[in-house]
Amino acid sequence: MRRVVSRVTLVAIAGALLAVGVGCATPPKPRELQALETLRATNQGKLPEVAKRAPDLMAEADRRQAAAHDNWQSNDLDESRTNALMAQIKLKTAIALYDQDQLKAEIQSLSGQQGQAEEELAGLGKDLASEQEKVALLQKLVDGRKSAEADKQRLSQEMSSEQQKAKVEQERLSQQLASEQKIGAAQLALRTADTVEAMHYAAQDYAAAGDLLAKAEAALKQGDYATAQTSADDAKKSADQAAAAAKPLYEKAEESSQNKARNEALARDAPGIPGAKVRIDPHGDLQRLVIVLPEMFSRRDPNIAPGHDMTLDAVANLLKKYPSYPVQVVGYTDNRGKSGELMAISAARAQAVYTALVERGVETKRLMVSGLGGEDPFVDNRSASGRAKNNRVEIVFLYH
Amino acid sequence: MTRARRFFGVLAIGCGLLGPLGSGSARAGEEDDLQRQIDTQKASVADLERLDELKAVTDEIARLKSWLDEAWGLRAKHEYDQVREVLDRALKQEDLIRAQITVSKLRDQEQRREAALKLTKEKIAHTRKQLQETTDKKKSLEKAAQ
Repeated sequence: MRRVVSRVTLVAIAGALLAVGVGCATPPKPRELQALETLRATNQGKLPEVAKRAPDLMAEADRRQAAAHDNWQSNDLDESRTNALMAQIKLKTAIALYDQDQLKAEIQSLSGQQGQAEEELAGLGKDLASEQEKVALLQKLVDGRKSAEADKQRLSQEMSSEQQKAKVEQERLSQQLASEQKIGAAQLALRTADTVEAMHYAAQDYAAAGDLLAKAEAALKQGDYATAQTSADDAKKSADQAAAAAKPLYEKAEESSQNKARNEALARDAPGIPGAKVRIDPHGDLQRLVIVLPEMFSRRDPNIAPGHDMTLDAVANLLKKYPSYPVQVVGYTDNRGKSGELMAISAARAQAVYTALVERGVETKRLMVSGLGGEDPFVDNRSASGRAKNNRVEIVFLYH
Repeated sequence: MTRARRFFGVLAIGCGLLGPLGSGSARAGEEDDLQRQIDTQKASVADLERLDELKAVTDEIARLKSWLDEAWGLRAKHEYDQVREVLDRALKQEDLIRAQITVSKLRDQEQRREAALKLTKEKIAHTRKQLQETTDKKKSLEKAAQ
């Protein structure tokens, strides 16, 4: 029983000692005080500056923190909390005032920087606007030049194209003109061939020329100038050949025809000469139209007897009317006298007529003068009248 | 007993009788006064909440409110000294909150200024780049125009 009592006593004593120990130990730090210490630690770097800005608040905070700490140490937790809270408030207020100053300074600095930046921006904006204006002008200039260059190039191309077209058209026209000229030349050659009646005298070449000309004209209409020119050239060639071949034949025929007509005209006109007798003496190929001028001279006189001017005028006019004929002026006598004398007289008579005709405008080069004396009497010399008639001059037109 | 003794004896008895009456009247006045102070500070809290446009000090305002509630509770328990202590703290807290609201507004202003400055600097950089490009283009065009 005593052992039980002593055990209970021991436990009671130990409990009492524990209670006393617990009661004497430092209590846990109040949350407010811990928060204050954390606040200080967080702002440790700037607290010296904060103290300069708000010394009273900082001093009060310090004082309150110290008190809170003491209160805590002395186990007066309520008072410790109260002081810690007040210290927090003072410290926070001091920090806030410090922050306000810092922020104001920063804002002022930022305002200054903003002003400078805006000034710089305005300057840059002005420079940029100026440069952009210059660039716009330059761009306009360059664009204008490019546009002008493009226009020039375009116009050049257009001009080149037009020139090309014009050249082609010119070439075409040139070809057309050349073709037309060649066709014209061929037509002319064909007409020329017509003038010598090549259709008759060179029918083959003429027909070929006509066909080729038709071919050339057809090719011209179709614009086939090469064929047109070739055909025209060939046509001309054929026409020329036809003309060349036909010409001598034609001329011969024509000359013959003309001569015939002229001879006929001469034969019609010659008898119109007063006092003259006309006859035609064919001598092989050569024809002779003889105009006899009888009784123009006295018996031995080489001079033309008066009263024959009309006859001489008519003869001169006839000679001039037919200028292409070579003409013989041949003097004659009757048969009485010596042959040499008669020859001289007849020649003198021919010369007298020649002179009279030349005086009337007849070309001398056409006239051939000769005297045949008493040869080839015109009429019989046995009668006086016959002899008078044989004293004569004959104007002989010679032709084929 | 002397006359003086009698006088002080009567005065002591008078004080003993009137003391509780005077003490009760003063306590009622003090309670009203504290209530007015609490009401005034509660009204200030609304102002502070309105001022705190950026909601930067909501914790501090909440703490202030809790202290005012605590003061109100203490007033109901007639713990006037503690009420005064809490009200004094609340008053300082109100000053702190105003200072911190100012800080928040200044910080916001600073941030906006910084943002504006940053924007302006970006514009400067952009404009400078544009200017350089324009100058290069101008040189190129001048060469082309020659």
